[in-house]
Amino acid sequence: MRDNILEFKSVSFAYPGSKTLFEDASIAFEKGRFYVIAGPSGCGKSTFLRLINLLEASTSGEIRFKGRSVTAYDPTALRQSILYIQQVPQVVDGSVRDNLLLPFTFIRNKDIPRPDDSQLKALMQRLLLLDVDLDDSAKSLSTGQQQRICFIRGLLLSPEVVLLDEPTSALDADSCRMVQETAENLCQERGITVLMVSHREMETCSLESVCLTVAHGKVVPNAASLEKNEEPV
Amino acid sequence: MNTSVIEISNLQLAFGLVFIILAGVLSLMHSLKLEKDLLIGTLRTFVQLLLLGFVLKFIFNIDRMWLVALVFVLMIFFAAWTIRGRVKERQVSYFWPVFLSMTAGYFLIAFMVTFVVIGVDPWWRPQYFIPLSGMVIGNSMNAMAISLERLLGDLRGRRQEIEMMLCLGADYKEASQGIFRDAMRAGMIPSINSMMAVGVVFIPGMMTGQILAGADPVSAIRYQIVVMVMLVGSTAIGSFLVLSLVRRRCFSPSQQLLLRQRHSS
Repeated sequence: MRDNILEFKSVSFAYPGSKTLFEDASIAFEKGRFYVIAGPSGCGKSTFLRLINLLEASTSGEIRFKGRSVTAYDPTALRQSILYIQQVPQVVDGSVRDNLLLPFTFIRNKDIPRPDDSQLKALMQRLLLLDVDLDDSAKSLSTGQQQRICFIRGLLLSPEVVLLDEPTSALDADSCRMVQETAENLCQERGITVLMVSHREMETCSLESVCLTVAHGKVVPNAASLEKNEEPV
Repeated sequence: MNTSVIEISNLQLAFGLVFIILAGVLSLMHSLKLEKDLLIGTLRTFVQLLLLGFVLKFIFNIDRMWLVALVFVLMIFFAAWTIRGRVKERQVSYFWPVFLSMTAGYFLIAFMVTFVVIGVDPWWRPQYFIPLSGMVIGNSMNAMAISLERLLGDLRGRRQEIEMMLCLGADYKEASQGIFRDAMRAGMIPSINSMMAVGVVFIPGMMTGQILAGADPVSAIRYQIVVMVMLVGSTAIGSFLVLSLVRRRCFSPSQQLLLRQRHSS
């Protein structure tokens, strides 16, 4: 039995003046596991991730990270430990290097060792950004490449939990798969917990992952996952 | 040079109405339907300005600091009220930040000008303090509205970019640094531009007034220069203060951006 790194305790959430997305949701996530969260569009998958890194505040209940309420942490410190990768990749004006080193310009990250070009290159190779140069303009890259740059940028902060919001558009399915595979490997190698929102549940739910569904304001293990867990592996 | 002021009699003032009648006739001829507005506008101009004249005369006669302070605060209150009507924003209330920024910023500038630059004794002498601060408030009010509109619009429109930085450990100030800078620039540029054009493209109203009142043009120019730099200073201080206060209100203590455009799933 692994330790729980994240726990939802009777969490409810609604956007102001809008219908309730989560009601009394309780669920625990074990350290070092890979979770795939599926559900129909608009059911609150992204919001679920945003609640964890405090981009949204739950209306009631408590979300715990390593046994402490997320609200008890300094938000900037929490977000460095729980990394959220947005659905639409966001790069700023400047080179690929400028973008990768952007987090190191923030006061919160000043004590984290700044990676040098060779370390950046190595990570870029791992994500098959072979023809991208550190001096290239980040905005000139394709969406898929930008997505991978954003992923690397987040990994440089050595997070404990990665929240992956999968892009809705199938613009670059290869990139999605690559990011997902790397996330899965990292999960195994470094014991990082990964929560990934997916729109293609059947494809993405591999043997090692735990599959969850958002339905009726709750997050529950889906039927396929339950069956799978019952089978001897 | 004749330095005495030619007084405008009531009859002469009434002659001014000829221009309004002319505009009214044009409106009727071309069905512009502006007759009513023209009439109300004219009445208001006469009544408001005549009242202002009496009020200023009264204040100058009484010559008390508390009265000057009261007028100053009232002018700022109405300026802040005007901005409230102009900048459409429902989620974040900004009336008091605007009021406080204007009071602090404009007082500092008006005091510096009357006390240090012109050397009026006492520094709050109503003949100087009220018209000068009125000019500062009237002009910087627009700059403040422009800055605020820009700040709020960009915080909404560039939400994803801000959240990206928040997700990477930035605090709200770091995440909105670029937007803050753009808003500040947007507010400052018109007053800098008018420094470029003054005296070449236009003759400012204050200077015109002084010259008509019989002042030496060179002396009027000195006052005008003081007013121009005063406007730049008050725009910078006022915008900086109001943007800092309002930006703070757009984020929660948990560094969440509170302004929403639409709900994400």
